[in-house]
Amino acid sequence: MQIKFKVNGEAREIEVTPFHRLLDLLREDLGLTGVKEGCGKGECGACSVIMNGRLIPSCLVPAPQADGAEIITIEGLAEGNSLHPLQEAFIETGAVQCGFCIPGMIMAGKNLLDENPSPNEKEVRTALSGNICRCTGYTKIIEAVMLAADKMDSKGSGSDE
Amino acid sequence: MSDKQYSVKDYYCKHTTRCSSETIKDSKRFVGQDILKADAEDKVTGKAVYANDITFDDMLYLKVKRAVHPHAILKDIDTSKAKKVKGVVDIFTAEDIPDLRKFGLIIRDQPVLVALGKTMRYLGDALAVVAAESIEAAKKAVDLIEVKIEELEVITDPFRAMEADAVNIHPDGNILITHNLETGDVEAGFAESDIIVERKYQTQFIDQLPMQNEAGTAFYDERKGRVNIWAATQWLHDIQADVAQSLRLAKDQIRIIQPTIGGAFGKKEDVSVHIHLAIAAMRTGRPVKLTFSREESMITQSKRHPITIINKTGVSSDGYLKAWQTKFIGDTGAYASSGPAVVHKGMYHATGPYNVENIKGISHAVYTNNTYAGAMRGFGTTQGAFAYESQMDIMAHELKMDPAEFRQKNIYQLGSCTPNGQRLNHSVNAEETIKKVMELSGWKGGK
Repeated sequence: MQIKFKVNGEAREIEVTPFHRLLDLLREDLGLTGVKEGCGKGECGACSVIMNGRLIPSCLVPAPQADGAEIITIEGLAEGNSLHPLQEAFIETGAVQCGFCIPGMIMAGKNLLDENPSPNEKEVRTALSGNICRCTGYTKIIEAVMLAADKMDSKGSGSDE
Repeated sequence: MSDKQYSVKDYYCKHTTRCSSETIKDSKRFVGQDILKADAEDKVTGKAVYANDITFDDMLYLKVKRAVHPHAILKDIDTSKAKKVKGVVDIFTAEDIPDLRKFGLIIRDQPVLVALGKTMRYLGDALAVVAAESIEAAKKAVDLIEVKIEELEVITDPFRAMEADAVNIHPDGNILITHNLETGDVEAGFAESDIIVERKYQTQFIDQLPMQNEAGTAFYDERKGRVNIWAATQWLHDIQADVAQSLRLAKDQIRIIQPTIGGAFGKKEDVSVHIHLAIAAMRTGRPVKLTFSREESMITQSKRHPITIINKTGVSSDGYLKAWQTKFIGDTGAYASSGPAVVHKGMYHATGPYNVENIKGISHAVYTNNTYAGAMRGFGTTQGAFAYESQMDIMAHELKMDPAEFRQKNIYQLGSCTPNGQRLNHSVNAEETIKKVMELSGWKGGK
């Protein structure tokens, strides 16, 4: 079947089968390999993307369900050469080691900050609880999201002045 | 010459071209500084390329038919139905590549493919490999491969494996390797002990569980006679040599290119996708890709060894260790992997950071039909630490002594000697560590 949807702001039209997962559609058909597969069971969060404003594990979504949807992946965060504050913060805090969980972590962080621009640490921990990391021990990832919130907050107030 | 004592830094200056003491500025370039990780930007933007992110035009997808039983003789394998699946390009078994040699990190005991009449020893053993135009076709074909087997006793317990009437998993018996450790006189040590404590400890299988499953891509450059393999490994050159010998190729015919690694923690020390990729690339002449599912990764690749540890320790009533006897039985699973090195390394660390003059130990790495155990963070010492620290707490309790005080009485100092005879002549901060832990935890003592 033919589906139409938007990925990272760009309109796409593509032929999919009911057996395709959204994850395969993004990785294989559209080449968005920043979306990672860790478990294929919706447990690890590595394949997280934002679909219609909700954080979802793309390994559990049949591709046809993306018809008409608006999807944001890790590839859609930076604007040209300028990184998203979350991306900057992950680099600055040393939150990245092997990096395999990071796209999903950043999407979970973005989903949180979109809804709650100044979260406390507990809210950050809850928002990232669906994402598994095996290298870092999470501390710096949590710091990174808190730092990103600060960065975005100061940017926000700056533009208001 | 002079009786001047040389420090590590002096040695470095004399024997290398890069002198660490030339400019103080240089030596502090990294230490104590915030350094941004070189590849972090690629990783936060999704641009970093991991093995499974590499694709080629005209690429085939591989799927491995795994053992259908943890311990059985392969009597027959029929791929005729599988070959009829639309999109299947090639299916190969051991019969198609008769000259294959076994592989392995330390002992080459693992078959690339189980041959007819030979034994599958765990559920991860490969029986056949399918190459197809799509992953769906490859999966469908794998399901249609028919296998006949003769079941053998399944041994999941190393103590059963060591019994005289247990079936041999490998021709030379089920004890893969034994190591001994002896220093001082352990019997004399027990004789002068006031309290003797004997306990048995059991650790479990743990999967290293890196976020990225084993994956790889390969293609055969016929003009150069070289197989190019993109797959994560922790031992680039060892894997190159092992793949080459198993296929009876020269080392320079195997080129392994390291993409970004999505975590490893010991699990990616062993060969995983590499040899099957190389064979498929050479047979089909097309680029090939093999990606493990999480289940396949857990069933097929290494684990942390479950080790049974028996500690018998003697201590004087004033809290000094007099004797330590230990036994390590490691379940190394179906194949050796790093097992010959892991289990005895654990035993050499059996007494932890504590001074004991009289020590006796024995370790066995034992084959079973479980998934093979290999390297994982600590390489045997973590299992040992669980046992010796538990033992220390139990002894402190028996002595009615504060466990922190008991540890400090026996802790390694500058000049202490490890069980295998290494004199510790620098960087011995164990006592300082205990004091810091007491301070940070607000330790108020306990008995």
